[in-house]
Amino acid sequence: MLSCSSHSSRATLSAFSHFLPTTSPYFNFSSLSPKTFSPTPLNFGWRAATAPKPRMASTFPARASAQPLQNADELIDSVETFIFDCDGVIWKGDSLIDGVPETLDMLRSRGKRLVFVTNNSTKSRKQYGKKFETLGLSVSEEEIFASSFAAAAYLKSINFPKDKKVYVIGEDGILKELELAGFEYLGGPEDGGKKIELKPGFLMEHDENVGAVVVGFDRYFNYYKIQYGTLCIRENPGCLFIATNRDAVTHLTDAQEWADGLKMSRQEFEFLGKSAMLGGGSMVGALAGSTQREPLVVGKPSTFMMDYLANKFGILKSQICMVGDRLDTDILFGQNGGCKTLLVLSGVTSLSMLQSPNNSIQPDFYTSKISDFLSLKAATV
Amino acid sequence: MERCHERESIFPRALSAQGNLETLARSATMNANGEAAKAVPELLSPQNARLLLDSTEAFLFDCDGVIWKGDKLIDGVSETLDLLRSKGKKLVFVTNNSSKSRRQYAEKFNSLGIAVSEDEIFSSSFAAAMFLKVNDFPQEKKVYVIGGEGILEELQLAGFTGLGGPEDGKKTVELKSNCFFEHDKSVGAVVVGIDPYINYYKLQYGTLCIRENPGCLFIATNLDAVGHMTDLQEWPGAGCMVGAISSSTEKKPMVVGKPSTFMMDFLLQKYHINTSKMCMVGDRLDTDILFGQNAGCKTLLVLSGVTTQAILQDPSNKIQPDYYTSKLSDFLRIL
Repeated sequence: MLSCSSHSSRATLSAFSHFLPTTSPYFNFSSLSPKTFSPTPLNFGWRAATAPKPRMASTFPARASAQPLQNADELIDSVETFIFDCDGVIWKGDSLIDGVPETLDMLRSRGKRLVFVTNNSTKSRKQYGKKFETLGLSVSEEEIFASSFAAAAYLKSINFPKDKKVYVIGEDGILKELELAGFEYLGGPEDGGKKIELKPGFLMEHDENVGAVVVGFDRYFNYYKIQYGTLCIRENPGCLFIATNRDAVTHLTDAQEWADGLKMSRQEFEFLGKSAMLGGGSMVGALAGSTQREPLVVGKPSTFMMDYLANKFGILKSQICMVGDRLDTDILFGQNGGCKTLLVLSGVTSLSMLQSPNNSIQPDFYTSKISDFLSLKAATV
Repeated sequence: MERCHERESIFPRALSAQGNLETLARSATMNANGEAAKAVPELLSPQNARLLLDSTEAFLFDCDGVIWKGDKLIDGVSETLDLLRSKGKKLVFVTNNSSKSRRQYAEKFNSLGIAVSEDEIFSSSFAAAMFLKVNDFPQEKKVYVIGGEGILEELQLAGFTGLGGPEDGKKTVELKSNCFFEHDKSVGAVVVGIDPYINYYKLQYGTLCIRENPGCLFIATNLDAVGHMTDLQEWPGAGCMVGAISSSTEKKPMVVGKPSTFMMDFLLQKYHINTSKMCMVGDRLDTDILFGQNAGCKTLLVLSGVTTQAILQDPSNKIQPDYYTSKLSDFLRIL
C-alpha cells in the first residue's frame, strides 16, 4: 500500500526534465577535496527523486534475491564494523526494540566496531547520544553519525573557508554541528518567524558571505527561508547547495503497534494515511525547484558517510555490514558503498515489500530483527 | 468535443477541434508556416514590426515582466495597449501566476488604469479549475489547494469545493511519535501554485492526500522557478512548491499553465482566430515562447522581465523566439 501507486501515473521524464537542467553550471567540482569522498552524481537528486526506483542499483549487476539470515556467526566473523540505521532497527519511535542491548553487547564483546547512522538532521550527535542513554544503551557520541553531522563533516572535508558563512534551512541539530566544526551559520529555526511583504520597493537583502546553503527537514519551513537560500545559491559565486537527505517521507515505525491497538491490519492502518510524515526531501525539492540546481546529498543513500567512516577508521568497505530497515536509503547506501547489507523487518519494510516484483533492491541478507544475531547459531556439525 | 487526457504526459493537450492539434505535433523548431525556424531571433525594427502588426489579429501577453513587475506598471505599456486596440487588434492576457483569479486580475488592470475585461484574461488559476471541469471531476470530491486565493475563487466559480489556500499558512504541526496528522479522505485533487504562505502543514497535507487517497490528482498551475513578485527582484515561483510536493510524493504533476497549450483551447473558444495570426509576447523562454511555438503562434520576447539578452543568446539556449525587443513600449517608438 505504501508506494506502489506511484508507478501508474508517472510521466515521461523527457517532457518534464526539459525545464530542469540536468547539470549545474554553478557547481564547481574542483572545490572538492579529492581525497576522502566520492561525490554524488549530479543527476542523483531532483530527477532521481521522481524517477522510478531503484536509483543507482541499475549500475550494479542484477543481484540474486536476498537470503534469510541463517548463519549469523559467519556474517559477524566476516566483518569488522556494523553500521546500524536507528529508527526501525534500534528503536521504534521512543521505545527500544526487543533484544537490542544484549545484541550490541555481544557484538562489542566480539571486538566489532559499532556505528549508528541516521538521515535525521534535527538532532546533533550529542543530542542523539542522550536518546541512546535514555534508552539504556551505552553508545558514545563518536559512534553516531546523523546527517546533521555529515553536513558539517563534508564542509570540513573540502576545507570550506572559515570566513564564509552557512545559511541553514533546517533544525537545531545542523546548527549545533556547524558550531562544533567551527563554522559560522545564519538562519535555522529562528528564520521561521520571519515574514515578508511583497510590496513595491521591497528588496530582500542577503549576506554575500554565505558560501553554502544546507537544507534538511524543517518544520518551520517558510517563504522567507526559501527566498534567502535561493538568493545565496543564485547570486553568491560558488555557493554550495547541500542537502542532508532527500527522504520523501518517513514512516511511523510504530505503525504496527497503532494498528494492533486500533484492532486493524497494518495495511488498513497505513491506508488511513496516518503513517507517512514528510522527510527532508520536501524542503530540498523546494530549493531545487526555485534554484533549478541539484544539491550535493550527504545523507543516505549517498556514500559520503560511508567514505568518511572508512577513511576515519582506516578500514575497507568489504569489512563493513550495513544493517537497516529501508531499501531505498539504508540498503542502497550499503550497496553504493560496496559493503555487505542486512535488511531487518522490524521497521518500515515488510517481507512482502522485499519480495514484491516492483522491488529491485536486494540486500545480501534479511532477518526479522537484530537480536536474531543472538538466537541464530551455526548448525552444530 | 473529444476529450484527450493523455496520462503519459504531464502537459494536457489542447482539446481544440479547430485544426490546431496538428500544430502541437510540430516540433518547437518550426514556425506557424511550417518552415524551419529562423536560427536567430530578429530584433524588432520598423520594418518587421509593421509586418508583424499587419499579419497579427490577436496579441497574447504574459503579465509579469511584460505588463507589470509586482504591482508596478512597466513604462509605456498603457499607451502601447491603446495603440494596438486602436488598430483593431484583440488583446489577450495569459498568465501563469495563479495567485489571483481572472476577476482579481481585471481589478488589478483597472487599478493600474488599463481597461481589461475578465474574459480577456486566462490565468493558470482558471486553467486548473477548467482542467477539473473538462475531466468531469466529481463535485462531491474536494480539492486541496497549496496556493493563492485566485485558485480557490476559480474552483468555487466552477462549482468545486476547495480546502486549504492561504488560511492554512497559519497552521502548525506537532511532531510527536504518537501524534497523527489527519487529512480529508474525500480530497480527490491537490492543486499546487505559487504560495508565499507555504509551510510544513500544507506540504504534509497535500502529500498525504496524493499518497493515500486513491486516484487523487496532482495538478500544478505552472512550473516557473522564479518570478517578479515585486518590482526589484525575483521570488520563488510555483516550481518551488511543486518541487517540494513532487519530492515527497515521488510523483509528477499534470501542468495546466504555459508552456502547456491547455489554456489555448479556452482562448480559441472565445476568439475564432487561427493561431498563426496570433503573436505571443512574453519574457520567459521556457514558458511564454514555448507556449506560443507549441500552439503555432508567432513569438516576441521582451527583455523587461526575467530573460536577458545574454541568456537568449547563450549557446545552451534552445528556444528561439521569432522576434525580440527590450520592452513592449518599443512598439510606440518603432511604429
